[in-house]
Amino acid sequence: MDRIFSRLGKTALAIAAISVGTAAYAGNPLADEKIAVAKASVERAEQSGAPQAAPVELATARDKLARAEKANAAHEVKPAALLAEQADIDAQVAEATAQQQRAKKAAIEFDMSMQALRQESLRSSPPAQ
Amino acid sequence: MNIKLLTGISVALAMASCASTPTSNPALDNARNLVRSAEADPHVAMYAALDLEAAKKELQVAETAAIHHDEAAIAQPAYLAAQTARLAQLKATAKADDARVAAGQTERDKIQLNARTREVDSATREADSAKMARDQEVQKSANLQAELDALKAKPTDRGLVLTLGDVLFDSGRAELNPGASRNLDQLVQFLTDHPARRVEIDGYTDSVGTESFNLNLSQRRADAVRYALITRGIDSSRIVSQGYGKDFAVATNSDSGGRQLNRRVEVVIGGENGAAVAARGRD
Repeated sequence: MDRIFSRLGKTALAIAAISVGTAAYAGNPLADEKIAVAKASVERAEQSGAPQAAPVELATARDKLARAEKANAAHEVKPAALLAEQADIDAQVAEATAQQQRAKKAAIEFDMSMQALRQESLRSSPPAQ
Repeated sequence: MNIKLLTGISVALAMASCASTPTSNPALDNARNLVRSAEADPHVAMYAALDLEAAKKELQVAETAAIHHDEAAIAQPAYLAAQTARLAQLKATAKADDARVAAGQTERDKIQLNARTREVDSATREADSAKMARDQEVQKSANLQAELDALKAKPTDRGLVLTLGDVLFDSGRAELNPGASRNLDQLVQFLTDHPARRVEIDGYTDSVGTESFNLNLSQRRADAVRYALITRGIDSSRIVSQGYGKDFAVATNSDSGGRQLNRRVEVVIGGENGAAVAARGRD
């Protein structure tokens, strides 16, 4: 959380201090943004095979995202932001896991086809003259 | 060396005195391990350098919090560092596989191209040799035809028949004229070129004179030609001779022109398979 505020910088702190009175009515914009980012990552993971390849990571990401939204709704800005950050990286890991499994499968299939092709090529090549 | 070591120890002591209890945080340890193994993976440096950078930054935040004993501030960056390090390794592994397949694709194309080229080459070679064989066959038959044309041989049921007129012989005699040589030379050349072919030399006469005289004369004339071929180097086993007398006339015997045609020696040339020429059955 300290880090989050350090990113904003002192100017942001000053503005936040001024707007404390008015900011209470809605979710924190920073948390909102992190939640939006996490949501996008979860959706991308869902569409890229993560439900099959990395169901646990994806479920964790969804759970954290839901909790982040809940916390944000309850104006618990800090937990909301932390949970959203975690949900985002969890979803990315889930997506990357699916992608990695696809690549591995493709590589194995390719290796097999190459092996078959080499054997075929050896068989059909004419004897050295 | 000693001075450096001592300096190191004194710094460590100073830090240790500052940090009263050395930080041992499981989340931080986990993050350190994962970032370290991602750093050690050459694929990560090649394919996921930005993610590795992000992981190291998060780890640094966690380390800084640890130095300041801010236990509450360690967990989040440590978790993010650990997960980002995993992300980097997953992405790098996938990209390494992709790259390997992409590189192999080129090799595969090459192998397939080579195989196709070999097929085309071998088909071309086969077509070439088939054409060459055809050309040779055509040439051979053209040569044969030219030779037969030169000999004025005619195809018949028994084989190719070359007729040597009676001009080879003096009337009533069986010795070859000196002028016969050139005619026979062409036949010798043909038999030399086609060593498998056998020949039968057949002698015929007109109807003038007795049967036995004509048979005898026709046989001696055929023998004379056979002998002439043998003396010119043709193997005797390839040549048989037969006198048929006045039989098998090719023209009328009632005028001198027809009789001249009937006085003849025919050379029957056997097939390329070396089969003997069948003797003529008497009618």
